[in-house]
Amino acid sequence: MRDIRVYFKCLRIHLLSGVEYKGWWLMLLNVFFAVVTDPLPTVLLFSRFGQIGDWTAERVILVYALAIAAFGMAESVFRGFDYFPSNLLRTGDFDRLLLRPCHLTVQVAASFFHIHRLVRAGTGIAAVWIALDRMGVQLGVRQVLTLLSAFLGGTLLYCGVFVLASGVAFYTVKGLEWINLLTNTSYQVTRCPVPYLPRAMKHAFTFLLPVLVVSYYPAAAVCGWGVPYWTGLLALPVGCVFFAFSFLIWRIGVRHYTSTGS
Amino acid sequence: MNRTYTLRACGALFRVRLAESVQYRAAAFSGVIVGFVWGLIECVIYTVFYRYGELPWNSGGFTLANAVSYAWLAQSLYGVMQLAPDDDIRKMIVSGDVGIELCRPLDLYWHWFARSAAGRLGMGWIRMALTLLVAFLLPAPLVLCPPPSPASLLLALAACVLGLLLAVAFSMLMTAVRLNISWGDGPLYTLQLFALMLSGNYLPLRLWPDSLQGLLRVLPFAGIVDTPAQLYLGTIAPADALPPLLLSLGWSVALIALGRLVLHRRLKTLIVQGG
Repeated sequence: MRDIRVYFKCLRIHLLSGVEYKGWWLMLLNVFFAVVTDPLPTVLLFSRFGQIGDWTAERVILVYALAIAAFGMAESVFRGFDYFPSNLLRTGDFDRLLLRPCHLTVQVAASFFHIHRLVRAGTGIAAVWIALDRMGVQLGVRQVLTLLSAFLGGTLLYCGVFVLASGVAFYTVKGLEWINLLTNTSYQVTRCPVPYLPRAMKHAFTFLLPVLVVSYYPAAAVCGWGVPYWTGLLALPVGCVFFAFSFLIWRIGVRHYTSTGS
Repeated sequence: MNRTYTLRACGALFRVRLAESVQYRAAAFSGVIVGFVWGLIECVIYTVFYRYGELPWNSGGFTLANAVSYAWLAQSLYGVMQLAPDDDIRKMIVSGDVGIELCRPLDLYWHWFARSAAGRLGMGWIRMALTLLVAFLLPAPLVLCPPPSPASLLLALAACVLGLLLAVAFSMLMTAVRLNISWGDGPLYTLQLFALMLSGNYLPLRLWPDSLQGLLRVLPFAGIVDTPAQLYLGTIAPADALPPLLLSLGWSVALIALGRLVLHRRLKTLIVQGG
């Protein structure tokens, strides 16, 4: 309980220090533009080449928005893990955290917070709403719950990615740009109509890094694109499993840690 | 005297940065892997649209092979054509080390210009070389096609040099704006984002709506990725190469002049902080 209070207190302090910069609100706009322009190439391609089978720009935006909303949420609540390798581990500041009488995960997770990351989540949710509305999809309780579980599962998945990267960083310390594959690069795959993806790529992003499980399958289940409904419900359990696995790696890493930095 | 100093210092900066890049090769390798997967996803997207789209004829004479090669060229140029301020300079601004930079008997603009250019080339060349190598070795539908003629290749290389000049000039303008520390990074990102998008990094400019083509060509950003790539592919014929190259050069000069102006004005009201 006390740990949760500490977590939110840290977030509040980071928030307040962030708004000290005169242009802080510009960062909100920046992230907004980044989120909106990311799928722009696909939209332009649709306008040039027309539909692909049943697939329209709205469908792609729905799948993309589900992924990006989850990613944005994870970035907001677990930003500290995202920055952990470069800002805490390499500098040796992690030693100090180990000395404090407070839960380690909480301390690392709350070591950074950027208000503008929430914009990504917010824009994603708004885009999901708009896409569903434009396709005229009727939402019942079951559908809303499916989408909610997709969002939570996706958030857990991407939190897991950050935790995993931090865990691996204990061994490699530097050269972690490959993490980009699991974060910003991973949701690029949702910019393509999923049934047309090459089999290997589809499987990689379903079974290895389950981005499609938290974006495409829930969307397909809710909108009825011809997948069994239960595949849309896998998001939350899969997210939990991925997070648990990452957390295990992180714990092993912490055990292994013998200080770095100068 | 001062000019010779600046030149010699800039030469030394290039040597240091190139030596550094060999040290950080692990980072460059992982950059190549990320770039490779990114490029692969882009190639898949283009292939899907060209194959299964309703209107495959509506590509404005830009073939699928062109689009795939373009994606690889854009990926290979990504490290070199960075538009953000140089990371070392940005850190100096934030930490207040800018004060030390001001004490050096060098022209600050050209010193930082050389530092930025050296940083990009130093970190970018391994990524560029490896991405191109891998892209050449890929199987047929994903392969980077060789240029149609030696003239195309030479002109593309010239365009790369001009593109680097343009990218560094743009990033120096960003650096000058960034000197105003109390605003943080806020004002820069969107500018960089739009510049990157309009340079062709997101989507070949030829596949943007036809009504925007004229505008996209005239803006300074096309010279950074699109002109080198299109010259390489031959979709801009060697005979038509002169206007876009001169335009790149003109924009570089304009951006350098503007960057110098903003930098000198900022230095007058500069507040150095930290310690």
